[in-house]
Amino acid sequence: MSSATVGAVFVALGAAAALVGIGVVAFGLLGIHQRWWRDARWLAFATLGFSALSIIWMERALITRDFTVEFVAQHGSHQTSSIFNIATMWSALEGSILLWTFILCGYLVAVVVKFKDRHADAMLGFALLTLFFVTAFFFLLMVGPSAPFQSFDPPVGYDGPGPNPLLQSHILMAFHPPILYLGYVGFTVPFAFAIGALATGRVGEGWLLATRRWTVMAWGFLTLGIILGAWWSYETLGWGGYWAWDPVENASFLPWLTGTAFIHSVMVQERRGMLRVWNLSLVIATFALTILGTFITRSGVLESVHAFSNSAIGPMLLGFFGLIVLVSLVLIGWRGDQLRAPGRMDSPVSREGAFLANNVLFAAFAFVVLLGTIFPLIVEAVDGRTISVGNPYFERMTMPIGFTLLFLMAIAPILPWRKASSGVLGDRLIWPAWLGVGAIVLAVLVGARGWAPLLAFGLGGFAGGAALRQVVLATRRQGWRGLVGRTNGGMIVHVGVVLIAVAFAASNAYVHQSEFNLAPGETASIAGHTITYEGLSFREFANRTETRATVRVDGGQVYEPGIAVYTASGQVVGIASVRSTAFDDVALSIEQFPNDGTDRAVVRVTVQPLIVWLWVGGLIMAVGTLLAVLPGKRRQPTAPVSAPAVPDRVEVPA
Amino acid sequence: MTRRVASWLAVAMIGAAAFVYGAVDEGEPRTDSDRAYAISNTIGCPVCQGQSVVESNAPIAKSIRETIALRIDAGWTDAQIRAELRDSYGEDVDYTPSSEGITILVWILPVVAFAGAVAGLVVVFRKWKREGDLEASAADRKLVEAARALADED
Repeated sequence: MSSATVGAVFVALGAAAALVGIGVVAFGLLGIHQRWWRDARWLAFATLGFSALSIIWMERALITRDFTVEFVAQHGSHQTSSIFNIATMWSALEGSILLWTFILCGYLVAVVVKFKDRHADAMLGFALLTLFFVTAFFFLLMVGPSAPFQSFDPPVGYDGPGPNPLLQSHILMAFHPPILYLGYVGFTVPFAFAIGALATGRVGEGWLLATRRWTVMAWGFLTLGIILGAWWSYETLGWGGYWAWDPVENASFLPWLTGTAFIHSVMVQERRGMLRVWNLSLVIATFALTILGTFITRSGVLESVHAFSNSAIGPMLLGFFGLIVLVSLVLIGWRGDQLRAPGRMDSPVSREGAFLANNVLFAAFAFVVLLGTIFPLIVEAVDGRTISVGNPYFERMTMPIGFTLLFLMAIAPILPWRKASSGVLGDRLIWPAWLGVGAIVLAVLVGARGWAPLLAFGLGGFAGGAALRQVVLATRRQGWRGLVGRTNGGMIVHVGVVLIAVAFAASNAYVHQSEFNLAPGETASIAGHTITYEGLSFREFANRTETRATVRVDGGQVYEPGIAVYTASGQVVGIASVRSTAFDDVALSIEQFPNDGTDRAVVRVTVQPLIVWLWVGGLIMAVGTLLAVLPGKRRQPTAPVSAPAVPDRVEVPA
Repeated sequence: MTRRVASWLAVAMIGAAAFVYGAVDEGEPRTDSDRAYAISNTIGCPVCQGQSVVESNAPIAKSIRETIALRIDAGWTDAQIRAELRDSYGEDVDYTPSSEGITILVWILPVVAFAGAVAGLVVVFRKWKREGDLEASAADRKLVEAARALADED
């Protein structure tokens, strides 16, 4: 048996296990199969086992350069170094679906293990049915149009081209996709429970509590995945940017936006019993958007640097997306009566009012991003024009939303539930307000100008102050426990968000970029920095030749931006080099090397302030998420928290 | 005047003064290369997949960047440079969607949707306010009692 066949058998067995899983759970729910739970459990383990075997088999083929597997022949190479050799799997379409499926099976097994005591629960049954269904869909993609294991007959001495050189140039590429997928795929779990809740009619708070941590973890992975992607882009592409509002970036951002909205509005449902339809819709939208994102990335309908090769899985993914939306809408319509909220809001100036505003803003944000992403397709379909919707649109439309969100971040955490008086607000907000004003004054003193960035700094200081105030008060009251739990972890996440918002505003407003044509020994200056070009060096590697310039920044350390020419493909890839400090970054790349025998080079220099705080902010967000899922202050999960409020149960937020 | 009010007044005055100064004062003049970057960042490379001419290293992207620099030297306005690039390479090199024809919808739809959502919320809150507080029914009380009993057992 050829090794491609072995792999295909693993995939087929996984597909079979998932399909049988659907049947077993369905019969169990119908009451036909009494011991369905035991079988469903084993089938869940079987899907994980077979997807793990498929992955191991693929990695074995990649590591041993087994070119009889077509995927390896197309994307592997003897020249690729070992770490990127492993990462090659998720650098191309078929392997990425393989990884996706493996993670999905992992979540399926995690659900089966975690909820093993609740197997008599029909809601869990429907959730498992949904999970098996999604798992089967992805396995079937690999049986059909996106088969990773196809055989290839390599000629003697064959060597593959290796993965896209851009993906080989930075270690972050090995981590960004798997972490992103942990986020994307993680949203399948709350989605499955939402469907379970709708199907059983138990649309109250139960499903929310059951999946709260899962959602927050998935959200945290998605956040980290997006930040790592931005970091990779910044470190390797050499144009000084980290976010381009590219369709694929937007595709990852959309579920993040709806997921963020959900994480906040879910608290309103827990406390006040309201927003049930809205929360279900957000969970379903988040999952549906991950599938839509997969479609956008893998169908070739939108042009993007990230796009995988065009393939036949596009229609299947689009069909799956349509099915999810249709089934969900039908279920929500069917359960409409039970979804009517029993509660109401007393005042818009309250915690729940702030969460509602947060949701309107995040929904608007998601709408802008979705509309801008697909609008070129609509225009082309309607009147045949090809247009672009790019960064000026997204920045102009989302800036007011961003400012308002920062403002909300400042006041929402200190707002009490139900109603707030101006006295309470005045006392709690004064300290954060001073921090906001301090940020503006400091920014003006160091030379920052322009209303937009100054407003961002001021609101950032205000919001950061509010978050820090909560953390300080909580740790003073509870010691280290004041750092864990959803509320406290959430405030730490807020601090990370504020850092990113401030860094984003500063780096966009005060970017300076210039190209300098320099002979060895010549110096150029830009935005208070001096750049001295000292000469060239050449290096030979197994799979590429590098030409690097030696560039001294501010008379200090030497940096070596350059280009790499990959032998197999002839592809030329830039090598960026960045000098980072807490205050600003100097990013260097080489535009042009001399071809007339002289040593002149064109050096592109991008100076941007505060870049490093984007990554620090991302790290703080990840840490905050982790703290948020740790169990915090004990609260009875079954305790009634809706009105009528019992005074001793009312949590005083500060 | 209480201390709190005084404190808020001080915050507002210092904040407003610093903000207005920073917003009005022009600071260092914008250099030609800043202008060139700002334009290049919003012009798509005609042959690359969704990359701007800043991001791309394709020869045509470099040549467009050079053109932009030359036009700035020659004293053209941003709008003139953009118009020329649209004429030479097609409408879709401009990342800013125009406000002509159906393209204007991309600008208007979000605003309409947002205004609609806010208006809807205002209506709901007014309705809630008019209706006054809800009275808990006997069934509601029973539910709460049952839940409390369950909580006490744990």
